[in-house]
Amino acid sequence: MKKLISLAWKGFRRSSYFQMNLAIRILIILGFIYFGGIALIMGVASFYIIKKAMDVDDPLMIVNSFLIYWFLADLLIRFFMQQLPVMNIKPYLILPFRRRKIIRYLLTRTGVSFFNILPLLFFVPFSIVLLIEGYSIVSTLTWFLSMLCLVFSNNFINFLINKTNAYFYGILAFTGALVLMETYGVFKITEYADDVFNAFYEQPYVVILPVSLLYLTYKLVYNYIRKHFYVDGAISKKEEKISKRDFTWLDRFGKMGFFLKNDLKLITRNVRPRQVVLMSFLFLFYGLIFYTQDIYRDMQGFIAFASIFVTGGFLLSFGQYVPAWDSEYYKLMMSQNISYKKYLESKWSLMTTACFLSFILSIPYIYFGWEIFSMIAGGAAFNIGLNSFITLYGGALNRQPMKLNEKAKAFSNTQAFSPTQLIITIPKLVGPIILFYIPYKIFNYEAGIITLAASGIVGLLLKNQFLNFIEKTYQKGKYKTIAAFDEKQ
Amino acid sequence: MITIDNISKEYNTVEVLRIDELNIPEGQSFGLVGNNGAGKTTLFSLFLDLIQPTRGQINSHGIVVSESEEWKPFTSAFIDESFLIGYLTAEEYFYFIGELRGRTKEQVDELLSGFKDFFHGEILDQKKYLRDMSKGNQKKVGIVGALIGDPKVIILDEPFANLDPTTQIRLKQLLKKITEERQATILVSSHDLMHVTEVCERIVVLESGRPVKDIKTSEATLKELEAYFAERSEQETENADSVEESNDEQQTG
Repeated sequence: MKKLISLAWKGFRRSSYFQMNLAIRILIILGFIYFGGIALIMGVASFYIIKKAMDVDDPLMIVNSFLIYWFLADLLIRFFMQQLPVMNIKPYLILPFRRRKIIRYLLTRTGVSFFNILPLLFFVPFSIVLLIEGYSIVSTLTWFLSMLCLVFSNNFINFLINKTNAYFYGILAFTGALVLMETYGVFKITEYADDVFNAFYEQPYVVILPVSLLYLTYKLVYNYIRKHFYVDGAISKKEEKISKRDFTWLDRFGKMGFFLKNDLKLITRNVRPRQVVLMSFLFLFYGLIFYTQDIYRDMQGFIAFASIFVTGGFLLSFGQYVPAWDSEYYKLMMSQNISYKKYLESKWSLMTTACFLSFILSIPYIYFGWEIFSMIAGGAAFNIGLNSFITLYGGALNRQPMKLNEKAKAFSNTQAFSPTQLIITIPKLVGPIILFYIPYKIFNYEAGIITLAASGIVGLLLKNQFLNFIEKTYQKGKYKTIAAFDEKQ
Repeated sequence: MITIDNISKEYNTVEVLRIDELNIPEGQSFGLVGNNGAGKTTLFSLFLDLIQPTRGQINSHGIVVSESEEWKPFTSAFIDESFLIGYLTAEEYFYFIGELRGRTKEQVDELLSGFKDFFHGEILDQKKYLRDMSKGNQKKVGIVGALIGDPKVIILDEPFANLDPTTQIRLKQLLKKITEERQATILVSSHDLMHVTEVCERIVVLESGRPVKDIKTSEATLKELEAYFAERSEQETENADSVEESNDEQQTG
């Protein structure tokens, strides 16, 4: 065990994290401090906040009523963000390690994850506050123990749903059914969930339930790995079945269709781009947060901000990683018979097509009134006409290689993320707000929308000039980009 | 005709490659040998404008490769796996290259049918993405990919490494055929002296970034190369010994 840990430590010390530049490291540490700090503060303060704000005697009851959502959301976020340990088991198989030991070690290692530490940062201080406030010691401890077990159960459930489709669809169907029954009032899970979470406190022996859940999920994962513990098994990367879709119907669009075809394959066949596309789909609903709240109704700046995201989700999230998407085979792209301009143009058309599609999908927003929908339309015009070029330009400055078939890890994988991206984000998001806001303040709402839309049209008219300029920027950085993408990760 | 004119490449003021003059006539099969770090891949990367020369230039068929993109239509290469697109199947990859080089699906299929033996039934119709293929099969795909579209210059870095013996023999036949028919200039690097002498008409030995031998291949070439590297090995052992001795002396002294 000790040896394994020391090996992992070396792997960690020598990983890209420590070789990353200082700025990113500071960003990551700040992120840790930020989220960790929030969790800590909430852990200490939420008891009193709830007590004050809601005027209740027992804030724990309120917290309990939210916990079911917490754990579901936690699982969802884990599914998208938490990287499972892909351990290179090959060297260990022939060394005198007991399998049991390696598996146990592997499973323990999944425990040391940001996603497990964060909830603890909340639950530990919260439980201490409970004790200070005179809650029963035994009950508080069993409640805390239950939370602990549930957090780690989620950790293992995430492993299962990631590895086996049966669990994934099973749990998806289960939660889907619960949500449906909840909304149609057939069976309100949340009411019962309250009772269950309260029981952890009120009837200490119920703690058996989460403990056995943890044990069960641990065992399931353990057995799963044990069964697949061979070089071609579970923790080494598996071979996939190939997808039959080859998008030949795009051929009729000529050279551009050809590049699009390849980009669609890139998206559908690799984990990371799939993740990004899913995220960008969620951005379609971003407007709901702002449009439904009355406080934002009069804050036009926020409405403009949200509207950019509604149609620009894909553009912003996919576009910022051009050309890193092709980093794995960048040398081929640079030495094959491709002109840089055609390559960039194809990326541009992919992004603008996605923008246009998002715009069509956003038509239901008319429900919130023409004012908001016209803002979405103006935002779409800006996205297509200007943001697309700004994003492509930003790509030229981004030289972080990316592993296509690996999930993005929260805080430990900053592949293809660089401070320059943060800087280039400013014109992408603040630009449209300014374009709208100034004429809106001077004249009226319509003037703001028209300016926004007009800026997009002007951008479209200057397409060739923009592309030429971007191409030059890419050409200038060519050698640097090739060298950076070539670095072993 | 490819001419190398006073080219040199430095990393942090350390010169890793320096060739004053080297001409490769059209249609020649040109072999590059040398130990690790001798500068073989660096030279090939310069041919493909993947790295920037510190000084000098390479002129390929009248085009200075670092100044214009016009060499791309007639040049193809397979240097390493970053020339493969991992999420495509072999067929899709070949069609992709074909399309880039203005070849229709049918033309690519026709070309591929000529490589049945070379593929040995392990490449086409495999229902596998390239990233899941073995190193040897990836190499086969890369090599054949570099032959699509009648390139005039073909650059292959270590094409024999990772191939099974049968495929090595087939690859040699293939390269010889291309040379005989004078279809293209082939630039090959290898650690295997026997393969290179068999395939190449001319062999240049690189050492620490400098060409130290330029041989027109004959019966005697293999012996000559073997003798050369044997001598190198002896020299290095001696050097190491003398270093050790001096260390010992220091310790005892």
